[in-house]
Amino acid sequence: MAEGFDIDHLAKLARLNLTADEKVLYSRQLTSILGHFRALAEADLPTTIDDARVVREAALRSDEPGLSLGAETVTRLAPASRDGQISVPRVVDDEA
Amino acid sequence: MAAALHQLTATELGAQLASGSLTARTLVEALFTRYDAVNPAVGAFTHLDRADVLAQADASDARRQAGQSRGPLEGIPVAVKDNIAVRGQPLTCSSKMLAPLVSPYDAHVVERLRAAGAILYGRLNMDEFAMGSSTENSAIRLTFNPWDLTRIPGGSSGGSAAALAAGLVPLALGSDTGGSIRQPASHCGVVGLKPTYGLISRYGLVAFASSLDQIGPMARTVADCQLLLHALASPDARDMTCFAADERSLATAPAPRALRMGIPRGFLGKGVAPEVAAAVQGAIAFYRAQGCAISEVDLPSADLAVPTYYVVATAEASSNLGRYDGVRYGHRSAQATTPVEMMTNSRSEGFGPEVKRRILLGTFVLSAGYAEAYYNRALRARAKIRAEYLAALADVDLLLTPTVPMPAFKVGEKSADPLQVYLEDIFTIPANLAGLPAMSVPCGYSGHLPVGFHLVGAPLAEAKLLAAAQLFETAHGFANQQAAL
Repeated sequence: MAEGFDIDHLAKLARLNLTADEKVLYSRQLTSILGHFRALAEADLPTTIDDARVVREAALRSDEPGLSLGAETVTRLAPASRDGQISVPRVVDDEA
Repeated sequence: MAAALHQLTATELGAQLASGSLTARTLVEALFTRYDAVNPAVGAFTHLDRADVLAQADASDARRQAGQSRGPLEGIPVAVKDNIAVRGQPLTCSSKMLAPLVSPYDAHVVERLRAAGAILYGRLNMDEFAMGSSTENSAIRLTFNPWDLTRIPGGSSGGSAAALAAGLVPLALGSDTGGSIRQPASHCGVVGLKPTYGLISRYGLVAFASSLDQIGPMARTVADCQLLLHALASPDARDMTCFAADERSLATAPAPRALRMGIPRGFLGKGVAPEVAAAVQGAIAFYRAQGCAISEVDLPSADLAVPTYYVVATAEASSNLGRYDGVRYGHRSAQATTPVEMMTNSRSEGFGPEVKRRILLGTFVLSAGYAEAYYNRALRARAKIRAEYLAALADVDLLLTPTVPMPAFKVGEKSADPLQVYLEDIFTIPANLAGLPAMSVPCGYSGHLPVGFHLVGAPLAEAKLLAAAQLFETAHGFANQQAAL
């Protein structure tokens, strides 16, 4: 089942930098864990998942504004903010 | 000689507070003394704001003086696992990712505790983001088992269980995604209950795997566990999985001797330590002697539970933890010039090894080309496991198994092999997959280490669990156990 396991691709998808040692370690551990998952591939399973819905029928809330934390609190929690807004590294180049 | 305050149960303390023979201030000051004597060695707490605790205690005493007691939890300290929001207190999930965060709001369960007059007492250590079964994955510190300080307390609610067993606090909140309340309760000789999925609101609980996560009560006696459960269970529109008022009738306690108990075939065999099996067999013999009908039941897909859980839980975790990007709160890397670098570097610096491992695993099982083979098959396996459990529970009231196959292991003993740690949860995981209530009840020892048995019931069968547990506890010497420290 673990055919095609690519730690570099996974790390990129997961937005994680891994060192060379970490790549070796996680590749070995994930291969071992996925090997334990082989039982899932071999099991006789139902074709539907309706009964797996332990989440009860979710009622949608009405689409109305509710209480929120407020801009002052939200910007205070942020790692960086300026003029009442959260600041991040530049997203769009000036020349773009 | 009268017992010290830290040795009393919440029920006993509540009686003293109600009679006027004890004040909340005196109680918390006694617990501060215990904290200074014991917590440095046990490491159950990660944070305790004494000034805030004293202010809460004084407010409680003032309410009581004015004849405005809010009920049986008035003035009782309750410690909180560090993934449940308490306004003004750190909310770190024992992770560097959230270490700077102070919660701006209260979780629903914390609102309930405040409304009940309880004192919010400190933050409890845990495996980072609740991922682990030993509390060794905390980025803040290790927690040690009070019964043997060379061993793990279990996890992920290891701080909660250790605090109770060390007499640091009479009541604690835990959270349970695959056994994180019940496994440490078993290892530390205390009572822990994972409620039916939907009974207790998760508003204010940091999400790990949302189709599995539940908050639950932990205590040193069944009665205290019940007291806390009833305070926490309440409708809350902010968690759309939480039962509405008309859906949550907790049955009244049944006659425990009339309960029918099922023993899953093979669960006491291979992989279970002989002393654990003997302690659980003793509990089965007790119930049989009390008149309970005991029968064997078949759960043929039980072997699928661990792989199913680790596919579903890591898939959901990889999605839930996507929110930690360094933008709005928590850790942001100083080494970033672009948004993608900021996200990637922040996550790489903030998450610990087990969290990274699970994010990678969850990313894989959801990735294109593999989702059908892993995630979708796991959902189907989950359906099968749930159907088998519900079928078994149509014929019996409760299932009885060990909580954990082995007693608490040595710190560091399994650090190199995560799969071995995952197998700690083999008996507890199915209740999460099926959304069923379950609890761990102390029932003996393996050497000097506590052992618990595990009860699982049908949805909303908490009263049956508690009645059965109370019957056992009353007849044995395992109520209000504390380690000698």
